[in-house]
Amino acid sequence: MAGMKTATGDYIDSSWELRVFIGEEDPEAESLTLRVTGESHIGGVLLKIVEEIKRKQDWSDHAIWWEQKRQWLLQTHWTLDKYGILADARLFFGPQHRPVILRLPNRRALRLRASFSQPLFQAMVAICRLLSIRHPEEMSLLRAPEKEKKKKKEKEPEEEVYDLTKVVLVGGVAPASFRGMPAHFSDSAQTEACYHMLSRPQPPPDPLLLQRLPRPSSLLDKTQLHSRWLDSSRCLMQQGIKAGDTLWLRFKYYSFFDLDPKTDPVRLTQLYEQARWDLLLEEIDCTEEEMMVFAALQYHINKLSQSGEVDEPAGTDSGLDDLDLALSNLEVKLEGSAPTDMLVRSGSSQGLGPRKLTLKGYRQHWVVFKETTLSYYKSQDEAPGEPIQQLNLKGCEVVPDVNVSGQKFCIKLLVPSPEGMSEIYLRCQDEQQYARWMAGCRLASKGRTMADSSYSSEVQAILAFLSLQRTGGGGGGSGNHPQGPDASAEGLNPYGLVAPRFQRKFKAKQLTPRILEAHQNVAQLSLSEAQLRFIQAWQSLPDFGISYVVVRFKGSRKDEILGIANNRLIRIDLSVGDVVKTWRFSNMRQWNVNWDIRQVAIEFDEHINVAFSCVSASCRIVHEYIGGYIFLSTRERARGEELDEDLFLQLTGGHEAF
Amino acid sequence: MGESNEDIDQMFSNLLGEMDLLTQSLGVDILPPPDPKPPRAEFNYSVGFKDLNESLNALEDQDLDALMADLVADISEAEQRTIQAQKESPQKQPPSASLCVPSFSDTASLGYGANVAAPSQYDDDLPPPPADPMLDLPLPPPPPGPISQEEEEAQAKADKIKLALEKLKEAKVKKLVVKILMNDNSSKSLMVDERQLARDVLDNLFEKTHCDCNVDWCLYEIYPELQIERFFEDHENVVEILSDWTRDTENKLLFLEKEEKYAVFKNPQNFYLDNKGKKENKETNEKMNAKNKESLLEESFCGTSVIVPELEGALYLKEDGKKSWKRRYFLLRASGIYYVPKGKTKTSRDLACFIQFENVNIYYGIQCKMKYKAPTDYCFVLKHPQIQKESQYIKYLCCDDARALSQWVTGIRIAKYGKTLYDNYQRAMARAGLASRWTNLGTVNAAPPAPPSTGVKTGTTQANGQLPQATQSMNTALGEDWRQLETTKDKKPGPGLGSHDPGAPRAQPLPKSSLPPPPPPVRRSSDVGGGSPGTPPKAKGAAARFPAPPDDFLPPPPPPPPPLQDDELPPPPPDFNDAPPDFVPPPPPSFAEDLPPPPPPPPALAPESVRTPPVVVKRPPPPPKRQENPGPPGGGGGEQDFMSDLMKALQKKRGNVS
Repeated sequence: MAGMKTATGDYIDSSWELRVFIGEEDPEAESLTLRVTGESHIGGVLLKIVEEIKRKQDWSDHAIWWEQKRQWLLQTHWTLDKYGILADARLFFGPQHRPVILRLPNRRALRLRASFSQPLFQAMVAICRLLSIRHPEEMSLLRAPEKEKKKKKEKEPEEEVYDLTKVVLVGGVAPASFRGMPAHFSDSAQTEACYHMLSRPQPPPDPLLLQRLPRPSSLLDKTQLHSRWLDSSRCLMQQGIKAGDTLWLRFKYYSFFDLDPKTDPVRLTQLYEQARWDLLLEEIDCTEEEMMVFAALQYHINKLSQSGEVDEPAGTDSGLDDLDLALSNLEVKLEGSAPTDMLVRSGSSQGLGPRKLTLKGYRQHWVVFKETTLSYYKSQDEAPGEPIQQLNLKGCEVVPDVNVSGQKFCIKLLVPSPEGMSEIYLRCQDEQQYARWMAGCRLASKGRTMADSSYSSEVQAILAFLSLQRTGGGGGGSGNHPQGPDASAEGLNPYGLVAPRFQRKFKAKQLTPRILEAHQNVAQLSLSEAQLRFIQAWQSLPDFGISYVVVRFKGSRKDEILGIANNRLIRIDLSVGDVVKTWRFSNMRQWNVNWDIRQVAIEFDEHINVAFSCVSASCRIVHEYIGGYIFLSTRERARGEELDEDLFLQLTGGHEAF
Repeated sequence: MGESNEDIDQMFSNLLGEMDLLTQSLGVDILPPPDPKPPRAEFNYSVGFKDLNESLNALEDQDLDALMADLVADISEAEQRTIQAQKESPQKQPPSASLCVPSFSDTASLGYGANVAAPSQYDDDLPPPPADPMLDLPLPPPPPGPISQEEEEAQAKADKIKLALEKLKEAKVKKLVVKILMNDNSSKSLMVDERQLARDVLDNLFEKTHCDCNVDWCLYEIYPELQIERFFEDHENVVEILSDWTRDTENKLLFLEKEEKYAVFKNPQNFYLDNKGKKENKETNEKMNAKNKESLLEESFCGTSVIVPELEGALYLKEDGKKSWKRRYFLLRASGIYYVPKGKTKTSRDLACFIQFENVNIYYGIQCKMKYKAPTDYCFVLKHPQIQKESQYIKYLCCDDARALSQWVTGIRIAKYGKTLYDNYQRAMARAGLASRWTNLGTVNAAPPAPPSTGVKTGTTQANGQLPQATQSMNTALGEDWRQLETTKDKKPGPGLGSHDPGAPRAQPLPKSSLPPPPPPVRRSSDVGGGSPGTPPKAKGAAARFPAPPDDFLPPPPPPPPPLQDDELPPPPPDFNDAPPDFVPPPPPSFAEDLPPPPPPPPALAPESVRTPPVVVKRPPPPPKRQENPGPPGGGGGEQDFMSDLMKALQKKRGNVS
């Protein structure tokens, strides 16, 4: 049709030349010129381009990107006129899916193809499907932070980038599972490794690295991150992302729906990783006691994931039928009492514990441990008689007091009694004895006896700990600076498990016993239970799930911080960090954004109006956060996995304004 | 009458046999339970009797009645469950007319024996052939059933069971008789078995007191010596708590209403949205509507982790061993209570841990102003449950006002118990709802089946007040093992015995088909089936309620009547008025349908007239029992004594022997 000309070569129809570059936005790209008219449909133009190129290739993913307008020409039935394209338009004929490198919550890099033409929300759905993460609406992408100019080219160790660009997902159906992983991962060893990376927790980071990584030192620093979120309602291309760019993949909304260890191994793991890094990098603060629990859980999780016990549900002997189970339980209940002798130094009752590492205060007794009761006698001969004291350890607190290099193996017992607590210290001769008694005490404190089936494994675990303390944990002297990664692969390097401020505060050998002590409470958890526990503890922190933005409230002269959580907005004093005011979403009537003056106005019940302009992040980020949380709160279990994308975009988008 | 006597005898003997069986499994040697710990309760409030007579004499009339009723209830329940072929039994002297002796498979009754006294514990072995020596009744063995594969299987199982029971020798079920003070200054004695939770005991008390069953009712412990008190959480194990009391304690257990118990669920906004007393907030709080409350609760308790209310403020802390109080700034976190050390800020990293909740319970301090010179009377106390005397390990804190006190106490409970609290509340609500519905409907109508409530052990079958409390104990979910054992016990013994003993036909299932139910049943079933209006209300109700319990299932609901009468003399349900006051068990007709062959409750049912002479009524119960344990030879002695003593005592009091 277009391109009729006279004998002299003049075109006699209204056709004109349209130049199209082939490939991605690249000024050097080859181009070809087509003759078109304003009436030409985009579809026709595409066809022509492909013909002209004369290359055999699957062009189905290609589409035209209009550079000046920053827009994809995806409506193939539209005409050029309708799009308003004239001869001066710079058009690029390129693939809609392009590779990007995602920095996952576990800090590993993964290359995959993401849609550059769909709104990010849809692109995320596809990405999460590929990674087999449910509930993509909770996640989003951030721009990678600007690299600080490298001082004297530090050799950055070549990092392994996992590659999923070749994996193609068939649309529609949920990926079937095959050999314990979604089928599309099982194609090659490579992708399988990739799945393992996704679904298994990573080992603790090198403490040195941990110290080097930037950590927020104030609330203000914590706002930085949130200025980098990409816009969910626009596509990557429109947001200036190029093929091969690095983006961060993170859980953006702290409202985790229906977290299920069974169906969500990747999601659970990545969430755990994000929580872990949050804590290690001090994005969120916790107390010392809490940190020890987090460290113990990390240690435990790492141990399980290294040993490959991926998801053995702990402690379900499903094989046994009722009776057998009953019998085995019985067995456990009945037999246990093992009189053993040991050296006891008892500084009983008033908490006058013996000084460390000295034998002072300890006196030797003959101690009998039967069921859950500890009795001690002057000597073995008197054992059948009245004991000097008898303590039922049920409900007691058992604290290890061990220094392996010093060959000190003490057990401190805090035994409750009607009169108060009795403190008693048992000093064991060697590791073996210590392990057995320690295990007995721990079981007894839970009301179980040494006949319990877990006794021997408990003993083993304690012995293993002792050997750990010998290797890791700065058994030597230099406890003051973190040991490098060399602290033996299996050894416990406590510095990789705690935030750097604890590295400064404690020596490794102080840290190790505390972590191990906390570990005893979680030692029975399976991998996914432990991860879940970690996540729950993280969620229980008072500052959990708050995203910070610097704003200026209407009528105020100074910048303040706005905290956005899944159920409320918090006004926070910038300098002190105190909460000034909290508004809950449940009381919110409506919110509006004035895009011109970059102001967000919110109306709450009872005519409370709040307005602020955004300083540290664009107001569309704030807007999307609020809308996103509202959207997430509309999810219901009953509705399954389907997402109401329109609603999301409606709540978070600002299309009209653009 | 004669007939009824016979029946009674039979029942009685069955009961004894059953008890034997049970106790045997419990292990004979339990006599005085060797308890290193302070013995459990004493007389005034809770009793562990040394000997039957003592215990009987010690009880007040009404208590005795109550106990008896308890026992009967248990029995009849069990009986119902086991309804099967019926046999004739020789008769013995009918103890008291009202007594119907059912099988004892219920733990509750068991426990009684165990903890209480030697007499109750019988040991014998399963293997021994039937024939209850002690009783003069020659139990006529039921017609032997043909041996089938089933039987062989049964035998195999029986062997296993034997083994299990042997292992059980030493296991024991503790049972306490507890005296509970009512708010009208009266008291009730109650048997509590070691598997019962506070919830079960409350349900039990509901039955006995005919109170309104609202959620505020609680068990309340008071330590007069320490001047502290608290309510039990519904999931707490009562016997365990009471075991911590010392022998000579003055502690008391009360049954009363406390609004604080579930205040947080009624008005969550007072705890979650309270912004340190800003007036504006207060107003909104008052106004919060039901829907918002619900969503607030949902948000706080139904997420991946429970949200602990944000709580911080200055409290007074009593200094160890002194009567001086120091004001400090405390914060509540999920992991414990923290305080701000001098000169530090209240950011997480500066906080010092004051206490964690794992090993402490929270109590209200009473009149601390007087006793310890506290600044106010709004005190709460944290202590290890085992501590019963003044001790430095008890922590006293003092709030400025009642509101703060209630917030702290509730906050700590939420931190300590988490979602369990909410589950408890929902169960309590379900229970209360049932109760009110019941009253609305009037006693006569069967309440609709209880809606399944969240908790596993929820109100189970007791749709109405009338259901015997015995059920509860069954449902209590305590140790799993125990449960299993129990069930096995319940169902398996039957077959086992059967195999050994020619007298006993096969297991329960068989009788259904093979044994033609005695004539009477037929009638009955027809009655029920027809749903003849004439059917006694009770029966109907029962039928409606328990649709189709598989027979091997725990306990088919006990026949309604006995429970009611338990405590006070005979507070028989309205319909029964004309019947003799005591325990006239209305025939358990309802079960006929689903349960296997209904025991032939001969005359009783037929007339439809439940209220007819007691005689009739009594009959039905006996038959079932039998089958389970054709009299175990070993043990009856103690039992018999026990029962007869009990009866004698009862008779003496009543003077109403037929």
